Amino acid sequence: MNNYRFILKEIEKLTLNKTFVRNYAFKSDLKIKWVRPEVIPSYKPGKSGDLGGVPPIEKQQFMLDFKNSKELQTANENVKKLFTLEFAPKKFTNRIYFSSLIEQVKRHDYDVGSIEVKMAKWTGVIRAFQDIMERFPTNRRLKVKLKELIDKRKKHLKYLRRWDYKKFEWLLATLNLEYKPHPPKYHSITRKESLQKLTDKYCEDIVQSRLKQYHSQLEIEQIAFLEEKIRTLAFIRDEEKHCGVQHTVTEEEIDEIRKQLDELKQKRDCIA
Amino acid sequence: MYFPKHEFVYAHDPEKKCKTGDMVLIEQLPQKLTRLITHKVKHVLYPLGDVTDPITGKKVIAGKFRDHIDAINKVYGEREGAFKYESAPARGWQEDQKDFSHQETYIKYHESGEHDPLAV
Repeated sequence: MNNYRFILKEIEKLTLNKTFVRNYAFKSDLKIKWVRPEVIPSYKPGKSGDLGGVPPIEKQQFMLDFKNSKELQTANENVKKLFTLEFAPKKFTNRIYFSSLIEQVKRHDYDVGSIEVKMAKWTGVIRAFQDIMERFPTNRRLKVKLKELIDKRKKHLKYLRRWDYKKFEWLLATLNLEYKPHPPKYHSITRKESLQKLTDKYCEDIVQSRLKQYHSQLEIEQIAFLEEKIRTLAFIRDEEKHCGVQHTVTEEEIDEIRKQLDELKQKRDCIA
Repeated sequence: MYFPKHEFVYAHDPEKKCKTGDMVLIEQLPQKLTRLITHKVKHVLYPLGDVTDPITGKKVIAGKFRDHIDAINKVYGEREGAFKYESAPARGWQEDQKDFSHQETYIKYHESGEHDPLAV
């Protein structure tokens, strides 16, 4: 009896070795290499959706408020120079840029509060702030302000999309912005989950490639199959006629398949 | 409108009439097309972002009639580069270029080297 038990255990062991067991320390032997994506700060243009930055602005022009001044036109050369952007703080250069953006989208000359103008203003400020952030990456207050402004602009773009899609698309094009909706869920990236996703993708790719292969193989066999079908149907028709049984195969049915075959051959010839 | 429960329906749309977010009228098929597809799209009632007031039949932007806004703009004087509805192309001309809202985005989990705009 003990001998029997021993033999049964041995058989069990053997079968277990053959079957695939996935224990807690399972490691996939697929050749998938996972690279952790680099974290991009939220204030960077790559995340905020700004495709274009602040262009170089000519420093020889007057400040925005003095552009149309009559007195300045007749003034001394040195005075004129003092009113150019070259001798003014950075904010005056920024103002020129903001106004240039607003000019592109304004509804009318007195428009200061429409959604287009607001969006242009925010975009200008965001781009100017992004430039400063590049130079002073430790400026925390600015970072917070910038992030809040980017989020506000994104929120209003979301509303605009729902209310007025045509204007939304026009704004994206004119201000050179990119709009990507929030993902359904924010979560931290882990090695395990990423590898699971990559493995799923790998398996799905294999399935798709094999299906494609099978499909092309069936396409090659199509002509031979149709010829065989015509022959078989003709044989059945002749046999039924010979034996005097009720006809199940009509002549039209065979003609239809012949037509199908001709079309298929023509199509193949065209491709070749 | 308030719906206490939501239900997902798969509707057949071979002509690709509808876009993400549109309100459409669907009709039940006499026979299931696949295991999931039970309906077909009849027509688009209200496209997203092109709101029509059902009572007056006028176009609306977030609580204001488009006519009223245009009338105000006319009084102030129209500008050359301003946005115009008549000459604006239909929705979708920025799709996959600058507007990626027709698809769901996801958090980037792998640096594959390929450009994927939907990986945020």
